[in-house]
Amino acid sequence: MPFRRWWITLLLLVPLSAQAFDLDDLQRQLAATPSLAGSFEQQRELADLDSSLSSQGTFLFERGKRVVWQLEQPVEERIELTPQAITDGSGENAPPGGEQVAQLFLQLLEGDWQALESRFTLALSGDRDDWQVALTPKEAALRERIAEIHLRGSDTIDHLDMRTPDGDRLKVRLFDQHPLNDS
Amino acid sequence: MTDRGYRRLGWLWLAALALCALWLGWMLRQGLPADTDLTALLPADRQAPLVEKADRELGRGFENRFLLLLGDDERVPTTQALGRSLQRLVDEGQLAGVDWRELDLADADPHGWMGQWRYRLLTPQWQQAIDTDGGSTLVEPALRRLFSPTARPEPVADPFGLLDAWLSRLPRSPIGAADGLLTLDAEGRQWSVLIGELKGSPYDLPMQNALHSALERFQQQHPDAELLRSGLVFHAAAGARQAKREMSTIGAASLLGVLLVIGFVFRSPRVLLQLMVPLLAGSLFALTLTLGIFGRLHLLTLAFGASLIGIAVDYVLHLQCDRVIDGRQFRLRRLMPSLTLGLISSVIAYVAQALTPMPGLRQMAAFAAFGLIGAWLTVVLWLPRFTLHASPFTARLATRWWRLCQPRWRLSPWLALAGALVLATFCGLRLTSDDSLELLNPSPAALMQDEQRVQQLLDRDTGSRYFLVRAADTQSLLTRLDMLDGSLDRAIADGLQVEYQSLAGSVPTMAEQQANLARVRKLYGAPLDALVERAGLPATVADEARARLQQAPPLTLAEWLETPLGSLQQRLWLGKTDDGGVAATVVISGARDARTDATLSTLADSLPKVEYSDRVSRIGGLLGELRRHTALWVAAAMALMTLALLWRYRGRAWRVVVPPFGATLIVLTAFAVGGVPLNIFNQLGLLLILGIGLDAGIFNVEHARKPAAWLAITLSTLTSLLAFGMLAFSATPALHYLGLTCLIGLASVWALVPWVRPEAGHSTPRRESEHV
Repeated sequence: MPFRRWWITLLLLVPLSAQAFDLDDLQRQLAATPSLAGSFEQQRELADLDSSLSSQGTFLFERGKRVVWQLEQPVEERIELTPQAITDGSGENAPPGGEQVAQLFLQLLEGDWQALESRFTLALSGDRDDWQVALTPKEAALRERIAEIHLRGSDTIDHLDMRTPDGDRLKVRLFDQHPLNDS
Repeated sequence: MTDRGYRRLGWLWLAALALCALWLGWMLRQGLPADTDLTALLPADRQAPLVEKADRELGRGFENRFLLLLGDDERVPTTQALGRSLQRLVDEGQLAGVDWRELDLADADPHGWMGQWRYRLLTPQWQQAIDTDGGSTLVEPALRRLFSPTARPEPVADPFGLLDAWLSRLPRSPIGAADGLLTLDAEGRQWSVLIGELKGSPYDLPMQNALHSALERFQQQHPDAELLRSGLVFHAAAGARQAKREMSTIGAASLLGVLLVIGFVFRSPRVLLQLMVPLLAGSLFALTLTLGIFGRLHLLTLAFGASLIGIAVDYVLHLQCDRVIDGRQFRLRRLMPSLTLGLISSVIAYVAQALTPMPGLRQMAAFAAFGLIGAWLTVVLWLPRFTLHASPFTARLATRWWRLCQPRWRLSPWLALAGALVLATFCGLRLTSDDSLELLNPSPAALMQDEQRVQQLLDRDTGSRYFLVRAADTQSLLTRLDMLDGSLDRAIADGLQVEYQSLAGSVPTMAEQQANLARVRKLYGAPLDALVERAGLPATVADEARARLQQAPPLTLAEWLETPLGSLQQRLWLGKTDDGGVAATVVISGARDARTDATLSTLADSLPKVEYSDRVSRIGGLLGELRRHTALWVAAAMALMTLALLWRYRGRAWRVVVPPFGATLIVLTAFAVGGVPLNIFNQLGLLLILGIGLDAGIFNVEHARKPAAWLAITLSTLTSLLAFGMLAFSATPALHYLGLTCLIGLASVWALVPWVRPEAGHSTPRRESEHV
């Protein structure tokens, strides 16, 4: 059973201080809210630009199914991410290469450590009320695109922080999150 | 001729053979200059080197790589097992590499190397949008892109996302990533994709064996996994395995059979050796002179020419049977007329072929004629000088066999003619022909099915249908390609079910690139200001973006082909042609039927310097042309032979021609009845039948009362039957048809001979009668 072997590997990777709280626990904790809705604030800092691109809106998250990203400011746009595809408001598929980014985005929001573990080294710290997961790419090909990803949260993921090697940074804050019952 | 003169001639011939050996050795110092392309058999003005080159370029991926599709319920662990076992082959140095993990896709980011050209590359939609209103409709989508969490915005380098729009238009591989594996989603199922890269030739035997056993082991361990294979290496390996298998079954049986028959009749191993000497001498003579005259040799020439030399076995057997049975009374002179006539009639047939305009057939004719002459000279000049152990058993056997085979009644010429007419009419009505490519394809059906499924699942073209486009220089080539693409687009809009790949889709002409840059400058006016303002970015961003336009180098074809994306299209580029121009192909995939083909051909005809090529039907056409030429040649050879024989035998000539012509008709009738279509290979077999049948006919008439002649005829048909007829059991279509023809034809020759034997008392050549 390869899955079991993964878990063993993962357990060994987890720092001693977090022994009581591992990725397994975290995944279970996140899975407790299968669907939720809330608001987001996204800030993109670009290295060759003095200012940053800020946007906000609402989101809807159905575990294992889809994420709907509803941009409200400064432009209206609805983006739907599923494991198979990303579609924008006009129903068109995303540009090439965007697919992999979308899949990654989905895996991060779901806390799908199994999938992430094949490409990233994961490090969990903190406790169940304030945890942090740091992800660093394993392979050089991915390291050219992503330097580091940090996730922070409690019962839900509250912060996502992604840095690229050329100095760009994407910060997403998720707030006003509330579970949905009718899914 | 005096005995001394005869001996001197013998030494002279030996010296000639020695010279041949030296010359051949010198010519082969860099290996055999052999052709394998079928078109090399055609007249020079019919050959198309550019088409050959296109075929080679388009086939390269199939040659140097292989692709496996793996479907299984437990896909991930199964694929990992297979991937690791292939990786071991890489580590052992058998393969150059294998890609199967998601990361192996290593999609080097096109933004990095395509970026500098983006201002000159616009999709038709964008061109239209900018031409209509300066591009203001492009602001809103660009804004959405800047704020999408999954996009990678570049407000300075590319605020509108020109490059993404352009890239999304390029053909994308259906192979994606899932579960960390290269994956293909097709037919509602996930297939793992494993791509292997060969180190050297796909014909490399140790590599084939290693790959084969790795896959066999995998399938034994995972019997439920569905594994589809594609790539020349699998076909080559299957061919090699089949050849090996047949060599050890058919080949061994043939050899054993010949050894047993000759050993049984002559009771001496020496006869066997002496049987080989003329054949080897003939082959040496033929190979040297043919290479000397033509400079190159086609492999088909070598294969069939060598088998035609098999006719020479007749000369040896007749001579040896006579020697063994006559003992000291043997006189070469008595045999000379029939031996000479046998040679002359066969050589006439080949000279007739040498007059055809097909260089391939000319080569084959020269090879066979020289081979027969060489073997004949060796038989006549050297064989009588070798000592022979004459077993009395042979003579007894000959007499007994002779008595056993006396027919009850004999064929009359009118009955023979009537029979021939009936058979010929039947053949004319029922016989079909087949020139399909499958004749040249020895791959097992299962492998062909795999191949087809893989192509279908991957929606991949096999590179067998394409337009060949020529022009004086690269720019006019791109213009012409662009025109062709336009015509194709219109035809597709009108319902033509094909897709195409063209270089013009990736590299616009200089004029268009210039126009595109002008459009982008327009877009970078007011629309850019609006975009920057609405995104909440400082106005300096717009200035910085405009500054980038100062350096917007054009994309040349050469630069494109150097990029990772362009290297995938390398196969479409043929480069410089002999006439100083350049050429490229546009590859077609999709529906394959007569109507599509007709539409594509008309499309090509409507454009200058554009031709449509369908490899499958082209090779079929070539095979058909070769077949029709050989058929004509067989008929001409028959007519010439008949004339030559009439001159010597007059009223008895029909007795000579019944075995060869009758056997030919019987073979054709058998094919007509059995529904076996006529093709180039069974026609080449007919040539062998004609040669051996004619020799049998001549000796049968010349030495009508001699048991030795009948024994020799029996032995010669039997050994040829064992050598060639056994090929009927080969799984390789070409060999199978050649063998089938020989099997039926040689048996018919043998069966026909006694029925046309001149009756006792009938005037046989005088010298003969006094010895019986």
